[in-house]
Amino acid sequence: MEPSAGNETAHTRVLGLGNDLLADDAFGILVARRVERLLPRQIEIVCSSAAGFSLMDDLLGASNLIVVDTIVTGAARPGTIHVFDLDRMTTSPGVAPHFLGLLEVLAIGRRLHLNVPKKVVVIAVEAADCTSIGGAMHSDVRSAIAEAVGLVRSFVADGCHKCGTA
Amino acid sequence: MESTRRITIDPVTRLEGHGKIEIFLNDQGQVERAYFQVPELRGFEKFAQGRPAEDMPQITSRICGVCPTAHHMASTKALDALYQVTPPPAARKIRELVYSAFFVEDHALHFYFLGGPDFVVGPEAPPSERNVLGVIAKVGVAAGQKVISMRRKLRELMALAAGKAAHPVFGLPGGVTKPLRQEDASRFREVAAEAVDFACFTMDLFEQVVLANSGYVDLVLSDPFTHRTYCMGLVDENNHVNFYDGSIRVMGPNLHEWARFQPGDYRDHLAEHTEPWSYMKFCYLKEVGWKGFVDGEDSGVYSVAPLARLNVADGMATPLAHEAYLKFHGVLGGRPVHHTLGNHWARVVEMLYAAERMKELADDPELTDPDVRILPTAIPREGVGVVEAPRGTLFHHYRTDERGIITSANLIVATQNNAARIAMSIEKAAKKLITGGSVPDGILNKIEMAFRAYDPCLGCATHSLPGSMPLLVHVRNARGASMFVLRRDSDGTIRRE
Repeated sequence: MEPSAGNETAHTRVLGLGNDLLADDAFGILVARRVERLLPRQIEIVCSSAAGFSLMDDLLGASNLIVVDTIVTGAARPGTIHVFDLDRMTTSPGVAPHFLGLLEVLAIGRRLHLNVPKKVVVIAVEAADCTSIGGAMHSDVRSAIAEAVGLVRSFVADGCHKCGTA
Repeated sequence: MESTRRITIDPVTRLEGHGKIEIFLNDQGQVERAYFQVPELRGFEKFAQGRPAEDMPQITSRICGVCPTAHHMASTKALDALYQVTPPPAARKIRELVYSAFFVEDHALHFYFLGGPDFVVGPEAPPSERNVLGVIAKVGVAAGQKVISMRRKLRELMALAAGKAAHPVFGLPGGVTKPLRQEDASRFREVAAEAVDFACFTMDLFEQVVLANSGYVDLVLSDPFTHRTYCMGLVDENNHVNFYDGSIRVMGPNLHEWARFQPGDYRDHLAEHTEPWSYMKFCYLKEVGWKGFVDGEDSGVYSVAPLARLNVADGMATPLAHEAYLKFHGVLGGRPVHHTLGNHWARVVEMLYAAERMKELADDPELTDPDVRILPTAIPREGVGVVEAPRGTLFHHYRTDERGIITSANLIVATQNNAARIAMSIEKAAKKLITGGSVPDGILNKIEMAFRAYDPCLGCATHSLPGSMPLLVHVRNARGASMFVLRRDSDGTIRRE
């Protein structure tokens, strides 16, 4: 949960973001736990429910980062998997005020010359409910776990080269 | 509500929270009402029921991704009350030490990265600069790195004493899990001294960038950002600000002491009001009564958070912070200060206090006393725990059966205490900007400034990813039919569709 900042060796980290107390929000955590058993030992698996600036702790020290998370676009049915290339997204000139998420924290890290990942890909599932404490996962979101696991494995298998092209 | 038009500012994103703003327009196109709604987590009470009370410090700290330490502490104190046990002095000091470190970190992050775009960069800066990168450009990379380095050291300390920095696990009814070792205490002493320097550095920066700019000071003092309400906060026996413990003091808009009570009696003094148009509950002072979203002596609306704390307290318990407190009230026209944007300055004053308090505690020889737990033996029934979270007063209240199994649980979080006044601030900004049904694009930034000063907790489930844009204003007629959409994209540009 508290990766060291000074690790110079290039390595890949799978970051499962979410909260297993909050219904569909458990998705990222469940995927990360599942891939842990399937991936080579040198791939680091981190589960985190950090928000805002605390996400920085989950970024430091990895060169390639595969994030698994939930998303609510409202434009897709629950269980739909979205894949984003954050490197491409950060090329847009600015970020909104008062808005600290993965993109912004990554941008701060880069601007301050911190050891943040060079490549970041995000696999996000469209969630139906992330605000019911102790709530059950939507069945379509649960079913998407296998697809996300497959995507993580394929990104790891090619050393994240395809991170920007998925 | 039949004849009103309804505007919803609905962030599609869930990154750093997704507060939702709704504005109702009447037939003349004037703002009738505006309010702010935080995403409410459902089902807490039900989830808590049937679980051992001792699990609550872990469970409640895991629910919120933004201030887990505050929930952990309030919950642990509720367990002290539930089991009627007073922790030994060293345990109390370790808790307050960790809590002070947390405050320095949290206030620093808000000042630099969340509040910064409004003041450090400036409300009139172009969208491409009015963001965290703009803040870094203004204060310099070296200052930015200083913030990061301070934060890392503080979190290392918290992990040392509290088990984990992200989700502390050290609080137990009657004490803490382990004593603080001598070598850990000396590490605290080193970092506490740095934290005081860091807070002074931040205060200097604030004075150079904000106070030296008369335009900013005028904005802080301006009417659209002013509300004369009651204020509430925890104070120690000398009526000084205390984040960890004390009595709850309520001061009237004209600075008379309206109430001073023990946390366990909160239900005698606070009540919740509901409105048909919102699922949110608005806290108010029971004895004054709910008179609507209005200022003044006769309205039970009150506020919490840094500005309110500096209003209820007669001073700060540490020397540099007290000096800063006096200057704060002096420059802003005397206590009580009713200017909402004063929260940003008050936050820096409090950061200085937290750092100095951390140093005091780190220097206290009793801190490393091995006696850190009193085993509870009483039969549990009911307990209330209160702390000042960075965003304001936080209440945890549990009832249990005789085995300590939760039968009912209630939380009042900081933002709920502030909800009515936040709604009033948004309404005032919206009224100023919307006339005759015209909704200018710039409304988003100004309204955001109005609520961001309170640092409202939007912490629920906020680590998730954004959709395509951070803010969306949906304008609807009274029957809910869509009229147009105003959206601000992630690059700060605002479009109308």
